[in-house]
Amino acid sequence: MTASCWQQLSQNRNNMITSLSQMADAVRSSGKRYRIAVAWAQDNNTVGSLYRAVNEGFAEALMIGNRDQITRTCHDTGADPSRFTIIEADDEKSAAVTAVRMTATGEADIVMKGLVGTDKFLRAVMDKDHGLLPPKAVMSYVCAVEIPAYHKLLFITDTAVIPFPDLDQKVAMAEYAIAMARKFGIMKPSVALIGASEKVSNHFPNTLDYSVMCKMAQRGQISSCVMDGPVDLFLACDPDSVRIKGVDTPLAGDSDILLFPSLEACNPFYKGLMLFGGGELAGMICGTTRPVVLMSRSESELSKYYCVALACLMASKND
Amino acid sequence: MVLRYLSELKDLLADKPVRRLVLAAAQDLNSLSSAIKAARDGFIEPILVGDKEAIQNIANSGNIDISGVRMIHEPDTELAVGIAVKMVRSNQADILMKGKVGTSSLLKAVLNKEWGLRTGSLLSHIAIFEVAAYHKLIAVTDVAMNIAPNLQDKIAIVNNSVACLNKLGVEMPKVAVLGAVEMVSENMQATLDAALLSKMNQRDQIKNCLIDGPLAFDNAISLESANHKGIRSEVAGDTDLLLMPDIEVGNVLYKSLVFFAHAKVAAVILGASAPIVLTSRSDSDQAKYDSILLAAAVSKQE
Repeated sequence: MTASCWQQLSQNRNNMITSLSQMADAVRSSGKRYRIAVAWAQDNNTVGSLYRAVNEGFAEALMIGNRDQITRTCHDTGADPSRFTIIEADDEKSAAVTAVRMTATGEADIVMKGLVGTDKFLRAVMDKDHGLLPPKAVMSYVCAVEIPAYHKLLFITDTAVIPFPDLDQKVAMAEYAIAMARKFGIMKPSVALIGASEKVSNHFPNTLDYSVMCKMAQRGQISSCVMDGPVDLFLACDPDSVRIKGVDTPLAGDSDILLFPSLEACNPFYKGLMLFGGGELAGMICGTTRPVVLMSRSESELSKYYCVALACLMASKND
Repeated sequence: MVLRYLSELKDLLADKPVRRLVLAAAQDLNSLSSAIKAARDGFIEPILVGDKEAIQNIANSGNIDISGVRMIHEPDTELAVGIAVKMVRSNQADILMKGKVGTSSLLKAVLNKEWGLRTGSLLSHIAIFEVAAYHKLIAVTDVAMNIAPNLQDKIAIVNNSVACLNKLGVEMPKVAVLGAVEMVSENMQATLDAALLSKMNQRDQIKNCLIDGPLAFDNAISLESANHKGIRSEVAGDTDLLLMPDIEVGNVLYKSLVFFAHAKVAAVILGASAPIVLTSRSDSDQAKYDSILLAAAVSKQE
């Protein structure tokens, strides 16, 4: 988003984006158009989610793949292929390499996975010479989740990439989620480090990492935030539980960010919210030099659209 | 309550019953003279266990009047130590003091499983300093007992020390966990342990104190330094207890306070069922005397 747009946004909405539809509105009304390079684009899901973004004017889709198949997919989904730029590629691997390279060189702002396998796609993203991951950078996944049961957006990590994050990876995960929250205008987000209870114990090594992270936040070694953990989900998100349990936590049941101890904890949590909690999400890969869109095909149409919008928001410059 | 001078220990003891101190292997000039002086000043009642003749000779040579002092004759050092320890265990004495016996022999008796003074807690050393440049007494642990304490050891050391400071009237001691820097670094275990201790304290898993760390020494004792670094801490600049990362740091700090800062010091061993006075020959007479008073002040009150 440009500076003037940010100013406008801050005047209009007190600088805060509090829902995913507002997020999409903000991207739409920024007047900017982001170029999205799609790897192996002949995929109903991909075409569907991009078509709305293209029609709304904030995305330009560079569809890399088999021209005939892309055109056919467009017809199948009711999309007008002339709205897309189609770039011919022989196979899924070369499509992934081309999409990533175009993004790395600045011909595109965002790279998105199409029908290519996730492993081939990520291999291209992580390629040392032509990829999008700086040396030693931690790659992780952050989701902004909207559910009727919570009064604001929840940023959760890591739903998809790091199975068992160590301390450094947890710190990186927190930083990515904080950076995303800031793009939503939440300048000092509350970060809950989720465990099974609020006690520190050798038997739960994550609680040790969490304690260290809290001190790092207190000492300014982690970007501006209010951090506490271990806390359970109730202490993180339910003020009544904080009162009943009598735990002294600055989160006070009003967390913006939930950092989970493992992928196996976080992934079922977000899926539960989608399946049973009436949730929608916008998620993306973080840690790369440019936004990387990678979504599960079981997400709703709306969530897929939000993923594209989120990548555009994150591609925007603050200055 | 906040103490500024070690001499205030006398005020703490003024209206308390006289504590009974048993001196194990009492034929030792240094410890005997300090114990007798504290007794003459009315703070303790000494019991001398050891070689009666040797004790009398030592007393004569040092011009120490031990007339009327209770003595238990046992020429064998090991047996004398055993008697002294058992007296504490059977509540015939309130304080154990080391005489002419090696530290390791004394501690072996203290830790005896059948008749020793084990409480289930780790033994730890606390040294309380009176430093001209600081606005109150400051305790330092552990400079003498635990070589490289791990996290669990540090928790026990803090608990021992906090209980001791509570008895001196410091209700919520401010505990600074020392590191070389105030930042957390995976390369420095002391800073990780410090972060864990802080969080455990915040979660009430370590009670009756206020813990912050890592803090560098200057941040711990000077609010100005802490402010300069932008550290927000309730402990910084007002520390009651400095928790050392290991014995090397602790021992050097102890000795530099004594030799360079001319600090006065009193020290005891905590974690046994009674405080143990374990002074070394290089300690000043004043330090030995003050250590006895400290032990009396923190010993069990009936």
